[in-house]
Amino acid sequence: RYVRQLQRLQLLFSPTSADSRGARQFVEEAALDFARQHPDVVVYISPRSIPAPLLVAEYLNGTVREELIASKTSEEIVQLATKLAGQSGLDIIRIRKPFHTDNPSIQGQWHPLTNKPSALTVQGPRLQPQ
Amino acid sequence: VAKTSLTSPPWPEVKLPDPGEEAKHHAEVVQKVNRMIAAGQYGRLFAVVHFASKQWKVTSEDLIMMDNVLEAECGDRIRMEKVLLVGADDFTLIGRPLLGKELVRVEATVIEKTESWPKINMRFWKKHNYQRKRIIRNPQTVLRINTIEIFPCLS
Repeated sequence: RYVRQLQRLQLLFSPTSADSRGARQFVEEAALDFARQHPDVVVYISPRSIPAPLLVAEYLNGTVREELIASKTSEEIVQLATKLAGQSGLDIIRIRKPFHTDNPSIQGQWHPLTNKPSALTVQGPRLQPQ
Repeated sequence: VAKTSLTSPPWPEVKLPDPGEEAKHHAEVVQKVNRMIAAGQYGRLFAVVHFASKQWKVTSEDLIMMDNVLEAECGDRIRMEKVLLVGADDFTLIGRPLLGKELVRVEATVIEKTESWPKINMRFWKKHNYQRKRIIRNPQTVLRINTIEIFPCLS
């Protein structure tokens, strides 16, 4: 019952510029392996004349993340791609609590009157039990 | 000897019950709880699990985030041992300190392996022209607890 949150990975690079050498090596060697290891991710490879090579990741909730891959070796690009494949599309901001529950209390939430005897049974110096 | 205010201790005196009767009462309670578990009369279960050097109070279908890297891939089912406490609406099973593995089963799946938000680590000394800035990103894993099950093997 696990659905991977990554929808598409678009690899935009230019076939001539020097900083997309790692991207070209990745396409030649490791892209097929990556696509086979993650069968539910669609990988688009588009060589076009772009100023800097980009790896665009789209997630199921619509967020688009662009990462620069200029002057990176092909192993680094593989690691980046696996990291993006494991993420979900939520914003990477400070999260306040490392847990989240829909049903926080099962036995009833504590309030200051639990486990206290009621006023009807208290035996004090003046109060008589009613 | 006359009774003063210090002859007996100020706390109310508690009479302990007979150990034989106590043992019978314990056995009765244990069998009642066993029958309830076997009949399936509990609603939601919660458990206290020791995981990644922290203790979490966990129910089914809830999210937990660790600040480390697990060796499991995304989508792997994990069974959590080291369960300290299991409770339902009417009864709780307390372990000393752990409960047996034949009693409880807590299953979770790895949903996400991301990094944390970029934290800034900066050192600055004034009047010394010294400042170092470093951005730290920790790897994190998100788990979802699927089920908590108990089996009627108390004694």
